[in-house]
Amino acid sequence: MAVVRFLAVRLMVYVLVVWIGVTIIFFVPRFVPGNPVEVMMGKLLSQGTTMDPVLVESMRKTLTELFGLEGTLWEQYSSFLSRVILTQDFGPSLSYYPTPVSMLVARALPWSLGLLLTALLTSWLLGNLIGLLAGYYNKKNLSKLIETGAMIVYPIPYYILALLLVILFAYIWPIFPFVFQVSGTPGSWPWIQSVAYNSFLPLVSIVAVSLGWWIISMKAMVIDTKEEDFVQYARSRGVSDHKIMLGYVARTAILPQITVLALSIGGVFGGALITEILFGYPGVGSLIYKAILGSDYNLMLGTISISIVAVATATLVLDLIYPFIDPRIRYK
Amino acid sequence: MIRVRNVCLHYQTVQGTVKAVENVSFDIFDGEILGIAGESGCGKSTLMKGIYGNVEAPLALTQGSIEMEIEQAGERQVIPSTQFHRYWWEHISYIPQASMSVLNPVVRIQDQFFDSYLRADVRALGKQQLQGRIAEYLRELELPVEVLHSYPHQLSGGMRQRVIVALATFVHPRFVLADEPTTALDVVVQRGILTMLVNLQRQLQNTFILVSHDMGVHYQITDRMVIMYAGQVVEIAPTAILFERPRHPYTQLLINSLPRLGDDTQRFGIGGRPPSLLAPPAGCRFAARCHLADDQCRQVQPPLVEVEPGHFAACLKHEWVTEIPLVGGGESA
Repeated sequence: MAVVRFLAVRLMVYVLVVWIGVTIIFFVPRFVPGNPVEVMMGKLLSQGTTMDPVLVESMRKTLTELFGLEGTLWEQYSSFLSRVILTQDFGPSLSYYPTPVSMLVARALPWSLGLLLTALLTSWLLGNLIGLLAGYYNKKNLSKLIETGAMIVYPIPYYILALLLVILFAYIWPIFPFVFQVSGTPGSWPWIQSVAYNSFLPLVSIVAVSLGWWIISMKAMVIDTKEEDFVQYARSRGVSDHKIMLGYVARTAILPQITVLALSIGGVFGGALITEILFGYPGVGSLIYKAILGSDYNLMLGTISISIVAVATATLVLDLIYPFIDPRIRYK
Repeated sequence: MIRVRNVCLHYQTVQGTVKAVENVSFDIFDGEILGIAGESGCGKSTLMKGIYGNVEAPLALTQGSIEMEIEQAGERQVIPSTQFHRYWWEHISYIPQASMSVLNPVVRIQDQFFDSYLRADVRALGKQQLQGRIAEYLRELELPVEVLHSYPHQLSGGMRQRVIVALATFVHPRFVLADEPTTALDVVVQRGILTMLVNLQRQLQNTFILVSHDMGVHYQITDRMVIMYAGQVVEIAPTAILFERPRHPYTQLLINSLPRLGDDTQRFGIGGRPPSLLAPPAGCRFAARCHLADDQCRQVQPPLVEVEPGHFAACLKHEWVTEIPLVGGGESA
């Protein structure tokens, strides 16, 4: 019964978190100067055609109506909530009117997921493996060298590294493309090659920086765990060295890393804002960027809501599977 | 047997060299329960590390030797302590202080048995049969077999310590070192563990080395005792003789601090503190706290002499020790 109660409470918290998050991103953009109607009007008027002020006014009214922005904030909020809960529909994008937000997101999400999940899993696996070895054999010179390298790379903001990569490998030595452009029919071999080729630099820029962090944190944890009584005692019990490293040290040191990994998987759904913009990568990050520039309330809500739900879900899943990873933890 | 000869074990620290064990010599005979006693910081545990051959920086064996003599394949072999790690668990095993943290928290007890050293022929039995063997052994030790499927945190302190004892004796090593095996436990559980240790020793006919600061524990189970003070051995004697006629004032004070049934006079501690092991005093290290000490004691280091067959004491005044009655035994603590 404890499990049922735990689940019920946990689910309530989940719903609460998502609701609060969505509410915040509903209101914040509306308190920021600039609104989508003016942005759209500006676009139309800047094309040089002179317009009758009466016509302009009626156009503004029509746009406001179309975008669902008439009425008080509370009226907008309640109609938004009921629409999202009932139909999961975030409405049309305002800057790409009338393309629905869901369609834009559905188009961008696979790109972000593909890039970021690959980057995350690669750096997690590689970083923990290197961190484990470097921590376990921390008296070796190579281990110190690796740590110094990781220390140098990891404080570099990922966008600085990305910029550096673009300048070096797309501009000075044009080995990789400057603009993200995929060719071939989706799913075909040439298309996969083209995606890999185009995604290489963004991938490296993310992996390199996060790798440093995984190495440093895993190494620190391994060094701590190595000194724990149960590891020392295992050694004096004649437990084999590789068993101590994997079954005793890595088995416990990896637990916090799993937590961070699960939370990071949630974060993947938000895209990598600056990397995507820098490389012109068609992911969720670019979408959020465009939404903010164009005061596109609906698109902002759509993209960021997915992020919120993803992070909240990742945390929930983590809580549910943790007792299987760490036997000391039980549902309460 | 294990021979400890002129052993010095030093810790290299930032403040200087801590001479944790100085010039210690004694023998550990086959089939005995040897007790090592002394207050905290007297070098008991450091000496145990040395005897186990687990000497790692900052600790170093700066002088002397520790050797283990075992019979293997019909011939006697002498093994230096630097090679002990090859015989860990097979010939010499270790029971640490009862604590939460010596067992792997995320692995079931049974797997911790599997992970430990096992003779090749035992390992060859395969998982099923080995599991049966372990269960059988636990039953012999009157432990519930269910503990095999538990994680350490699901067991009580006493149960955990019994499991550790079982783990350390499962492969029947010749020498078992126990460092304060009952210190963290309440007296009822303590008694159970001590009984278990004594029964095991009788059954396996091997050698137990028991470190404890608790003279009561030593009196109950050890055959012979080594008393340590400030890194040195001050007295060695069979336990019964040691308790009957101690020949070192420190031993006498330790024994005197034990409560006795029917005696309701106040107990006294030993006044003062042991000297710093960074810069120990020139003469007898106990002189500053000793009621018998004179100027000679403060200048000359007393050698360990045989005061009667099998009874050694390092005290210039050893003849006086039992004759001068203890009044209070120094300041009350």
